[in-house]
Amino acid sequence: MLIGSFIVIILNLRKSDNMHVVVLQDNKVIYSFDLSDEKDRTFRIECPNGGWNDVKIEDGTICIIDADCPDKTCVHTGVLRYEGVPIVCLPHKLVIRFANKENS
Amino acid sequence: MKAGKLTRLALLTALALIIFIVELHFPNLIPLPGVKLGLANIITVYAVYKYSPKEVALIVVARLILGALLAGNFSALMYSGAGATLCLAGMLLFKKVIPYRYIWLSSIVGAILHNTGQIIVAVLIIGPFVVVSYYPILIISGCIAGAFTGICAQLLLKRDMPERCS
Repeated sequence: MLIGSFIVIILNLRKSDNMHVVVLQDNKVIYSFDLSDEKDRTFRIECPNGGWNDVKIEDGTICIIDADCPDKTCVHTGVLRYEGVPIVCLPHKLVIRFANKENS
Repeated sequence: MKAGKLTRLALLTALALIIFIVELHFPNLIPLPGVKLGLANIITVYAVYKYSPKEVALIVVARLILGALLAGNFSALMYSGAGATLCLAGMLLFKKVIPYRYIWLSSIVGAILHNTGQIIVAVLIIGPFVVVSYYPILIISGCIAGAFTGICAQLLLKRDMPERCS
């Protein structure tokens, strides 16, 4: 089990060569970007049950820079870098991850 | 329940809460949801080997609810609740098999079960991809954290009841 975990982690830590990113809230795609031609900007995603996350797009990278949750794990996760490791905000059910163009 | 026993359980709950709150202020080395040392579980492991299942469950439930209140993070309660339930059930079973000298092993099993519970809730809430993305990370971090808290609890128990742990 441990060895399997290591293998999956190493596979997950591939740098993503794909620039297509989706933002999911409550399991539904609410935004879909191609980071290579997305303007630098910061915008706020409101959670229907209250709460928000500030998402920043800069130089083809995406990250959450602020949130009103107590632990701010999503902010500390930093820039979305790896294919298999999405940015997740559990309290607001928000997920930012790479996606294939075909199935998004 | 005798007053003495009640006081001891309350004291352990308070200790676990203090450890929990202090740990919240540690900077997280791996800032991913669910990855943490879980030092408060030193108390859980200690209690599993020292008290009856019912008493351990009391300590853990009180700590979870009060911890969520104090940290202001109620959505975390679903995850920690599911994790703690699986973890406790597993550890209470493993306590029968694993001798007092290998408490750290039982703690690792508990940590992995805790992470499994969290992943199950996460699958229900944010989708099945978390199994591939996070479960392996949680298993490895759970093994490390579980071994650490287990060793701490074992040292504690060794002072408490040396004849059973040697």
